Amino acid sequence: MTPFNLRIITPDKVFFKGEIEKIIVRTTVGDKGILAKHEPYIAALPIGTMKIMIKGNYRIAAISPGTINVGENGDTVVIVQSCEFSDEIDVSRAKIAKKAAEERLSDEGVSIVDHDIAEFKLKRALNRLDAANYK
Amino acid sequence: MASGNMKVIKRRIKSVGSTMQITKAMELVASSKLRRAKKKANDSKPFFNAQSLILSEIVQTKHIETVFTRKREVDSAEAKRLFIVIAGDRGLAGGYNSNLFKLVVAAHEGQELPKIIAVGKKAAEFFGKRGYDVVSKYIGLAENVKNAYCADIANTAVNLFKNGDVDEVTMFYTEFVSSMVQKATDMPVLPLEIKAHEPGKHIIPITYDPSPEAVFNRVVPTFIMSMVQCAVTESYASEQCARRIAMESASDNAEEMIDKLSLLYNRARQEKITNEINEIVGGANAL
Repeated sequence: MTPFNLRIITPDKVFFKGEIEKIIVRTTVGDKGILAKHEPYIAALPIGTMKIMIKGNYRIAAISPGTINVGENGDTVVIVQSCEFSDEIDVSRAKIAKKAAEERLSDEGVSIVDHDIAEFKLKRALNRLDAANYK
Repeated sequence: MASGNMKVIKRRIKSVGSTMQITKAMELVASSKLRRAKKKANDSKPFFNAQSLILSEIVQTKHIETVFTRKREVDSAEAKRLFIVIAGDRGLAGGYNSNLFKLVVAAHEGQELPKIIAVGKKAAEFFGKRGYDVVSKYIGLAENVKNAYCADIANTAVNLFKNGDVDEVTMFYTEFVSSMVQKATDMPVLPLEIKAHEPGKHIIPITYDPSPEAVFNRVVPTFIMSMVQCAVTESYASEQCARRIAMESASDNAEEMIDKLSLLYNRARQEKITNEINEIVGGANAL
């Protein structure tokens, strides 16, 4: 397959930069696969997993909300608030975060804002665990 | 008399010397922190640039008017403002904090006091003391930027703006022009003004999922967050740089002072010896 350039940018740094063959992301309207020379395309990404094919092998990454932007020449930029490859995820930390968020959600006294934050954190923790266990 | 004077001068030399040790140490600390701060400031730029590119591409495709871009129809003297002020946690950094505060104060002259989001202990103290409405303050954020806090600042600003509690949001920070020049700057945040990227260029059709407006509205909060983050990291680099320069000149001044005092000390010592010889000679002659 023809390779094309992908950059994954997070607030702290350029997380990934290199040639890949295929990327599959879940956008807010459904899964989308992108190959080389895709038409210019911009979509919003929710919390989810992303599959990238590098030299014939898939790598899985857990991402937080952001956008994907396919440029004029097919070069793709993924802009997300956080991104982790599945083999780099700290499973025990994600489990602790999941438990803390669940406790927060079951507490009836929390404010609406705290409830939303806890829900977001729970989603993120579950997403990390999903990505880490992806076969 | 002479010996008493010598003691005083000696004590001064010692105290200036120990001050110099401190300023020298602070200079070294600031220059090593500066290197890290500069790297951080550069690392947070790509995220901001990538997002502003998306926004400008959307604006190029079609005219977007959303809650974030709409200008409020209010008299400028009566507009309710929110200022995000990014200053330091510590002093002894030359004019770093005071230049910024001067700019902030000048910016609302003759208008109602703005609401303030204060980043840095100095900003919180300055505006707290002067009776401003400090909505929230973040102390110790600049040294170790977490994007959760930047998101918090952005959300606070966006919510106040959306609810109509404020009509304008402006951010004040210190721009890192070069290692010699840091400039206090203001930057309008809301309502957003996005310029079309390369106006006049033919428009390449871009497919949007779900729609240009939806993507635009989703990007804006994170865009503002990264705006805050860039400003915080850049200000921090400026702070370290300003401190390094201030401490460098303080050390230079101390050195100069020690030189002058040593000269005075030697002169007093010489005077004392001359006096003693005179006394001995006078005494010998009297015999």
